[in-house]
Amino acid sequence: MNALLEQFLSESRDFLQGIGEKLMQLESDPESIPLMTELFRFVHTLKGNSGLFDFPEMTRVLHASEDLMDAVRHGRVSYSQDLTDQLLDAMDFVGILMDEIETTGRIGNSHATNSVELTKSLRELLAAASTESEAHAATPHGISDIDHPSVDQVLEEFAAVEVDFANDTTASFGEPAFELNEVVAMALYRHATGGARVFWVEYIPEPECFFKGEDPFYLSRQVPAVLWHQSLLQKDIPSLAEMDVYSSQLVFQLLTIATQEELDDIFRYVPDQIQRIEIPALAFVVPFGSEHDDTIDDEFITRTVGFINDGNLERASHSIRTMLELSAPELWSSSLLRWAQLIIELEPDNALIQCALINQLRTHEPLDLVALTQDISSKSASVDSHLPNADLPHEHDEHEAINSEASHTDATLMASFYTVLTAQKNVLSVPASPWLAGRMKSVATTLIATYRATHQVDEIEHIEHALQQALADNTSQPLLAWIDKVLDSAPELSDIQEAAPIEMPIEQSTQEVSVATEEVILDPSSKFGRRVEDTSPHFGRRAEDTTTVVSKTLKVDQEKIDRLMNLIGEMVVAKNALPYLANRAETVFGVRDLSREIKAQYAVINRVAEEMQDTIMQVRMMPVSFIFQRFPRMVRDISRKLGKEVELVLEGESTEADKNIIEALSDPLIHIVRNSLDHGLESPEVRVAAGKNATGKLLIRATQESDRVLIEIIDDGRGINPNVIKQKAYEKGLIDESALERLSDEEAVNLVFAAGFSTADVISDLSGRGVGMDVVRSAVERINGTVGIESEVGKGTRLYLSLPLSMAVTNVMIIESNEQIFGVPMDMVVETVRVPRVQLSSIKQKQTTVLRGRIVPLLSLNELLALPQEQVPNEDDEFATLVVRVHGEHVGIVVDDFRETVDIILKPMSGILGGLGGFSGAALLGDGSVLMVLNPRELI
Amino acid sequence: MAIEYKKSLAVFTEFVGVEEAENLLQWLLKNPKGKINLATCEHIHAANLQVLMAIKPLVAAWPADEDLQRWLAVLEK
Repeated sequence: MNALLEQFLSESRDFLQGIGEKLMQLESDPESIPLMTELFRFVHTLKGNSGLFDFPEMTRVLHASEDLMDAVRHGRVSYSQDLTDQLLDAMDFVGILMDEIETTGRIGNSHATNSVELTKSLRELLAAASTESEAHAATPHGISDIDHPSVDQVLEEFAAVEVDFANDTTASFGEPAFELNEVVAMALYRHATGGARVFWVEYIPEPECFFKGEDPFYLSRQVPAVLWHQSLLQKDIPSLAEMDVYSSQLVFQLLTIATQEELDDIFRYVPDQIQRIEIPALAFVVPFGSEHDDTIDDEFITRTVGFINDGNLERASHSIRTMLELSAPELWSSSLLRWAQLIIELEPDNALIQCALINQLRTHEPLDLVALTQDISSKSASVDSHLPNADLPHEHDEHEAINSEASHTDATLMASFYTVLTAQKNVLSVPASPWLAGRMKSVATTLIATYRATHQVDEIEHIEHALQQALADNTSQPLLAWIDKVLDSAPELSDIQEAAPIEMPIEQSTQEVSVATEEVILDPSSKFGRRVEDTSPHFGRRAEDTTTVVSKTLKVDQEKIDRLMNLIGEMVVAKNALPYLANRAETVFGVRDLSREIKAQYAVINRVAEEMQDTIMQVRMMPVSFIFQRFPRMVRDISRKLGKEVELVLEGESTEADKNIIEALSDPLIHIVRNSLDHGLESPEVRVAAGKNATGKLLIRATQESDRVLIEIIDDGRGINPNVIKQKAYEKGLIDESALERLSDEEAVNLVFAAGFSTADVISDLSGRGVGMDVVRSAVERINGTVGIESEVGKGTRLYLSLPLSMAVTNVMIIESNEQIFGVPMDMVVETVRVPRVQLSSIKQKQTTVLRGRIVPLLSLNELLALPQEQVPNEDDEFATLVVRVHGEHVGIVVDDFRETVDIILKPMSGILGGLGGFSGAALLGDGSVLMVLNPRELI
Repeated sequence: MAIEYKKSLAVFTEFVGVEEAENLLQWLLKNPKGKINLATCEHIHAANLQVLMAIKPLVAAWPADEDLQRWLAVLEK
């Protein structure tokens, strides 16, 4: 998982949390504009962020939520608890998606449908509320004239969705209709009875799909295992000359035995534009051929049906075969007989269908596939429950199940139907509340849906009428009266339920319905809006199971970490007091055993403290990629501006260092990279002329070297000419004439770090103001880093920064001079040696010595600190010499004696002492004394 | 160019992109008797399909690609 995605997930969880909280607050203060604005901002940001990734399912839901919140914010939609429920559901869903992304890195196909459902219900809420506010033009929120167009727009935009939703899946999509030939139909039937699920897919691309880079035709062609397909135009194009070729009018229809997952995957970006219906096997059973005066004698029909009813399929099959041989194959009756044979072969137990089919030979009525199968199945359900329901999809999803079962007006359904009515009546009986209008609308919606599901479409008009009346009077009486009327005319509920046969699928739906109604009764105030046959997915991750979702990352205020860091620093110091104590126990009080025990205890505390320090340090560690990630864009922009071709290579991005170091490094690095691009790399022509690749290479590499981070910026540009640098430096008065002669090439190159140095004659907006490299150097030195440069003319330049991993605790060596102690940072100490007096020699009145074949200048610390004393040698007449590295050179500092090294927290000096040169700070020692820490760089 | 327009024949080759649709419509309107040759065509963008379905020009040669041919069968008069 990449860092961006990780950040997105962690941020998004915060947003979800925030959204949840705000929604809760809104419940108690629904009129609060600031709350809504903030809520909108959260959802808006979350949506925007999700758009960065390839998660259409998530973005879709968030987009709908955003639109809804926007409408609420502008008062177009009034706030309701139903709305909160929907939004919380949506956010729970997004949370689930995030969990999945976190574990698997992607969103499974299975969520596409849920996503569409959720989006629909959100949109529906928006559309419904818009209708409402339109109806009552003078809502409390007062829609101004300016707002009207947008309301209209919203209405227009969602009108289609609303119709679509109200009719479930079959409004803009047609009923499955396909003209097959017998061979294909039989093949489909074989597949369907053989365990495969045959899906009818209708894909109506949205008109503007071409502008989104979609190719619906290509998408349709990707569907595997298609047995039948066709493409259509939605309507005839009236005038070809005015035809808009970039507005899609296409409809693609196909029958496939591809799995649901495959289909969801192919259409995952356009799930709202396809309709997927599973077609039961028997829907394909339709005889083909010319249906003219072919008569099959009644005797054959009666005989064959008799065989089937007796269970003697072999004889039935034989009789059909004989009849087939006698008839012309293209006849309708022959086709029917072939079907009968196939059904006997594949579904030998389905006698009812077989008989029904053969009986068609007598009635000659054209077979209505879906009606026939469903009719028979409902008969089979109520007449003979032992017959398997071949037409019921095997593992249909809830959605489709309800769809197909909705057409059975059998007893069970009626029982559920009356339960629903009773429940709705209860909802309305709840004492009036501010949401009465919304409640009545939801009841009406439920009733309409229920009636539609039971195919009593005529009644819908009455319900709507009652609703209008109820809304006008602002009382639920008309609706209640209407429900009572229906309930009164109903048979006793218990009778119906007893009469209902025990059929699993239907039984299940009854349970669902009763569960839903129970909710309504128990908690009408929060659940009243749910439609009873509500198929919208629920993502019930409310209070009861939030404990299972624990974020693995913890966001902590940096200040807290800093405080922790300081505390562990104090701890380290305090711990350092123990050895002193042990020492005192032994020398002052003469208790040797105690001293030893203290020391043993110290070892334990030391170990724990160090581990703690390490861990806290790691908390503060950040990868250098934090600053590296901005370079690709920057290099691209600058190189384009300069007309150079540059290839940027980043290495070691995962190298880590303390947050402060990384942050302090950001500006200097940008400076250096700009310099390399501007001065270092040449234009393509110059490069080619010099025999180099036209594209320059810029390498930025981070590596860890023991306790330091090394960052190198290497280019293969023109390099730095030391003579030019020397000349420039001389012109600017940075060096004198003697230095001009004396400086080595390497020293000269490092002059670029001198204050006020610039080689560029013309000041560009990139560099050349003379505040370049010296700023870099001081910035790096401020965080105890060093910077250096190596260059070869014509070959390129290597700039390197060496930085400490962390700067909280400094390791210093304690030295003694003039009976005082001082600290010297360990990272500057190269070695400690004792130089015998005889090996000292004088060059130009300066003390030097030769160490391993190298001349090292020696400086006396007392002299550097302007102390009048001479350094004191030990008994063997050797001088304690501390060799330090200053600006890449070794210098020996003669002191009186060496002591131990300690970890200290270096506090920079402030106040009057702040201006004191030669010291980098002071620290408290374990025994309570103050240690002054020298800064040899400034000292020498 | 994925569609090559000859005097009264438009030859479709390989993948015919969305940007061809406008020209195709104009050409077919200008040449009502124009035919199309799809022999070496592998896929046409849906926008082109829509134009062809609306106008239903004569097909001089069907695509060699069988899948595409089946899909384009709707163009048969």
